[in-house]
Amino acid sequence: MIKITPNEIKTISQYIYDISGIYLDHNKTYLFETRLSSIAEALGCKSYQELHTKAKNDRSKGIERKIIDAISTNETLFFRDKGPFELLQHKLLPEIIDARSSRSTSLKTSIKIWSAAASTGQELYSIAIVIKELLQDVSKFNIKLLGTDISDNAIAQASYGKYNKFEIERGLPRAQLQKYFTPAGEFWKIKDDIRAMVNFRKMNLMQPFTAMGKFDIIFCRNVAIYFTLPDRKKLFNKIADCLADDGFLVIGSTESLTGVCPRFVPKRHLRSIFYQKK
Amino acid sequence: MNTMSILVVDDDPVIRHLLEKRLRKAEYEVDVAVDGYAAEKLLEQKRYDVVLTDLMMPGGIGGIEVLDIAKSISNDIEVILITAHSSVDTAVQAMKKGAIDYLEKPINFDELFLRLEKIVTIKALLQNARDIHEAMGASEYAASETIQDLELLAAKLQNRLDKVENELRDTNKDPENRIAKALNLIAGL
Repeated sequence: MIKITPNEIKTISQYIYDISGIYLDHNKTYLFETRLSSIAEALGCKSYQELHTKAKNDRSKGIERKIIDAISTNETLFFRDKGPFELLQHKLLPEIIDARSSRSTSLKTSIKIWSAAASTGQELYSIAIVIKELLQDVSKFNIKLLGTDISDNAIAQASYGKYNKFEIERGLPRAQLQKYFTPAGEFWKIKDDIRAMVNFRKMNLMQPFTAMGKFDIIFCRNVAIYFTLPDRKKLFNKIADCLADDGFLVIGSTESLTGVCPRFVPKRHLRSIFYQKK
Repeated sequence: MNTMSILVVDDDPVIRHLLEKRLRKAEYEVDVAVDGYAAEKLLEQKRYDVVLTDLMMPGGIGGIEVLDIAKSISNDIEVILITAHSSVDTAVQAMKKGAIDYLEKPINFDELFLRLEKIVTIKALLQNARDIHEAMGASEYAASETIQDLELLAAKLQNRLDKVENELRDTNKDPENRIAKALNLIAGL
């Protein structure tokens, strides 16, 4: 493993911040080394300075993508932390459907949900499964489920919807596994009817949100923790802009918006918290 | 000390006894089944870590079927197939269906023990990952309760402070009256 120098940490962490908005603690030397050493070695670099130069000069941005894939954390589970999904099923979805269906009787009720840090897709597929179980015939609704992530690799895996048994066995009850996934050797693939409900695309949350429209429910869990406080403020301000006035925001169960975004008020339902605009 | 339990399935008594003897000597816990049907019965009664099964066996339950039965009981049961050189293609098909490995006849015991040790390592790593996840989940749950209480409290206090501020800024009212109302709002916290 190539060792990183304090100067290189400064350069590399600034570079990572510029391309992804992820702020890495300068004390976490091991994190830089364990995540970037193999990329540097594969490119024949002798140092992280050299990797930095190569990445900046790479017009195809292939190295930049590899660095983002390596640095972004893809720890995620199906139904990771049951709370948000119970909240979705028992409170958020029924309220949105109530509010939207009373508006118009002739048109299909439209529901737009965004998973802002979709990672490898487990959260959005879990949302799709909850919707399918709650609504049964989803064709009667106009449902748009969007998942975005900064990592190309994560988006590719999410789009493919294929998970190994270790990624899948934790969190997902066997009955749901067999109902919504098809076994393929050591892997499980999401069934087409669930896959057809979702869309994934690459997006850097630090950049302006363009052509997003308004969402009814936004999940933005465990991603802002990698950003600085000023960037967190900007992010949740932009999220408030693209959330419907009566929409809901769900953040990670150990995250807080106190001192981050005064436009949101926290509300409790059972043992979960969700946010609405003031 | 090997703690894994292994089910050996082979209709050939010579190979079956040899496997049983060598595995017991290596201190694995071993049961044997004389064919697929016997294996099915044992799999239903007891949870094994590894099933070591011959691919070709007489009757309706061959190695592939034993694999299917084991995997339908639990994905955690690892299956190694024993095959003749001529049926390597079938063994590869079996791996696509979830078998962890295959061994060609005649069995090389060094090879078999190496594979079993690898399975022990993988199982230990998985258990370790599960333990870490559980510990993470437990501390996350505890932290979230505290954070959520604080979040709601902070919002309540902010709301009250906004009211106090509005009260004090309302220049249409008598100053003493405003201060009294503001104090009342604060006292109510």
